[in-house]
Amino acid sequence: MTFLGLSAKNALRNRFRTVLTVLGVAIAVLAFVMLRTVVWAYNVGVEAAAPDRIVTRHKVTFVMQLPKRYIDTIRQEPGVTVATWANWFGGKDPKHDREFFSTLAVDPETYFQVYTDVAVAPADLAAFKENRRGAIVGDVIAKKFGWKVGDKVSLKSPIFPGDWEFAISGIYTATRKSVDRSTFLFHWNYLNEGMAARQRDQIGWVVAKVSNPARTADMSLAIDRKFDERDTQTLSQSEGAFNASFLGMFTAVLKAIDVVSIVIIGIMMLILGNTIAMGARERTQEYGALRAIGFLPRHLAVFVLGESFTIGVLGGTVGLLLSYPIVQLGMGRFLEENMGSFFPYFRISPGNALLAMLLAVGMSLVAAGIPAWNVTRLRVVDALRRVA
Amino acid sequence: MSESTMVRVRGLSKIYERGGEQLKVLSGLDLDLAEGTFEALMGPSGSGKSTLLNIIAGLDRPSSGTVEVKGEDISRLSESALATWRSRTLGFIFQSYNLMPVLTALENVELPLLLTKLGGAERKKRAEIALRIVGLEQRMDHYPRQLSGGQEQRVAIARAIVNDPAIIVADEPTGDLDRQSADDILTLLEKLAKDMNKTILMVTHDPVAADRATKVHRLDKGALSS
Repeated sequence: MTFLGLSAKNALRNRFRTVLTVLGVAIAVLAFVMLRTVVWAYNVGVEAAAPDRIVTRHKVTFVMQLPKRYIDTIRQEPGVTVATWANWFGGKDPKHDREFFSTLAVDPETYFQVYTDVAVAPADLAAFKENRRGAIVGDVIAKKFGWKVGDKVSLKSPIFPGDWEFAISGIYTATRKSVDRSTFLFHWNYLNEGMAARQRDQIGWVVAKVSNPARTADMSLAIDRKFDERDTQTLSQSEGAFNASFLGMFTAVLKAIDVVSIVIIGIMMLILGNTIAMGARERTQEYGALRAIGFLPRHLAVFVLGESFTIGVLGGTVGLLLSYPIVQLGMGRFLEENMGSFFPYFRISPGNALLAMLLAVGMSLVAAGIPAWNVTRLRVVDALRRVA
Repeated sequence: MSESTMVRVRGLSKIYERGGEQLKVLSGLDLDLAEGTFEALMGPSGSGKSTLLNIIAGLDRPSSGTVEVKGEDISRLSESALATWRSRTLGFIFQSYNLMPVLTALENVELPLLLTKLGGAERKKRAEIALRIVGLEQRMDHYPRQLSGGQEQRVAIARAIVNDPAIIVADEPTGDLDRQSADDILTLLEKLAKDMNKTILMVTHDPVAADRATKVHRLDKGALSS
C-alpha cells in the first residue's frame, strides 16, 4: 500500500460517481481532440507544403487569371528548374452533384515534374499524355465514385459551360500529407480549345519548382518585379504561404474552434473540481481520523490530489481511446473523402493526443487545488466532530 | 514525575472564545495516569472530558498549564512535531471506528505504518501481528462493510496498537456496540493494559464500561471531582 495507491482506491470509492466523472472527462478530451484535429488538419496543408515550390497568381485574387505567356518569363528566372500551370475548372459529376472535389486543368508534360509528390504509374501517365481527353484522378475520389482506369466520365462546370467528356487514364496516390487525394486532373489544352477565342490562353496560376528552397522569398520578389510594369501584376509566394492565404478566410472560424476547445477543458475542470470537493467534504471525519493517528496536512493533500490525478488519467485515457476510432476512422475518413480539398489528411497528431492527455491530468490537479488546500486547513478536533 | 507516571497534567485550563464570549471548559486541572493502567474518564455532556482527552492526545492545545507524556511537555510542540509525536507515541480509538471503507482490515491496520520508514513486507507483518492480538487473524482480507461493529472496533484497536504506542486514548469505544461486543472490547483493553503495559485513557458515558477500568476520574464543569 502506498499514498498514491490509497488515493487511487479512494477515487473508486463511489463507483457510480467516479464512472460519470471519468466519462465527463473522457467526452471533454474527445471533443478537445476533435476540435484540435480540425484546426491541425486545416493547417497541415500549410505546414506540410513543399518548401521548393513557388506559386504565382494574379496580384488581386487567385480567381482572376494570368496570360499564359507568363509561364515562359517565369521559366527564365534563374533558380527555377521547372514550372507548370493550372486552371480551376470547378467541375461536378452530374451523377454525384452534391459531392465536391477539385477539378484542375493542367499541363500534362510538366505538372507531374513539379508535383513529384503526386505518384502515378508511368504507363498511366504515358496514356494520359497521349489522350487529350484523358484524366488522372486521386485514389480517394476514385474509390468513392467507383472510377477505374478506362471509365468514361462526364463533368459539368458552372464556369465553363458544356458537357466535358473524359476518360480515366490513371489514378494517383500521394507521398505528402498536404496532397489532396480527391482531385480530378485533365489536359489544359482540352479546356483551352473548348473556350471562345477571346478567352483562350489564360491560366489560373503558375507553380515553379526552385533549386534552392532557402531562396523562395527572394525569388518570389524577383518574379513579381518582372511583371510590375505589365497590365497584369502578380503575387508570388511559397506554396505554404499560398495555401495559408487560400485558407486565410477561415482563420476566424479556426480561432473560434481553438477557443471552444479550451473552454471545453475549462468546463471539464469545473466538473472534476466539484466531484473532488464533494468527495473531500464527505470524508472530513475520515481525514480528521487520519490526522489524529499522525498524518500531516500535506499527506491529506496528496490523497486529494492523487484521487483527482487518478480520475484525470482514467478520463484522459478513455477519451483518447474513444478519439482514435471516432476521429481516425469515422470523422477523418468522411472528411478526407468528402472535403479532401480542405482536409487532405485528417488524423490525430501525436502532439494533439499528448496535449489532450497533459491537459486532462494537469487540469485534474488544478481542479483539486482548492479541495486539497481546504483539507490541509482542517482542525483535527473539528473534523472528528463533523458528520458530512 | 515518578517513573511509573505516563501522563502528568498540571494546572490545565482550556478557554474557548465564542462570539466574543469566553467559555471556560477546563479549569486548573491536575491529573496523573500511571503506566500500564486502564483508566476511565466520566462526566456529563459538556463537562470537558472530550476536550481533556483531545489535549492529552495532542489534538488540541491547552490555554494554560502543561501536559507531560513520558516526561515530554507536548503543549510546547509545533503542529507537525505533534503529528509525528502522535504517530509514534499514541494510539487512538474512536467511537465510530473511522476505518477506511476502501481498505481491508489488514490495510487499515497498516495505515499508521505508512508514516514510518518500514518496508512493505515488514509493515504487513506487523499489521498481521496486531490483528492476531485482537483475534481477527481470520478476517484480515475483509473490508469494513463485511465486519460486525465489534469486529470493526477490534480492527480500530489493532490500528491503534500497531505502532506499539505507550498510550492509547479511546473516545467512547463501546458507544456504538451491543453489550456483548462492548464487553469483548473492554476485555481486550484490559488485556492491553495488563499484558502489554499500555496506558489507556477511556472516555465513556457508560458506568458498566467505566467499572472495568482500574481507576475512574469524574469530571464536572471542567474540574475533576474524583
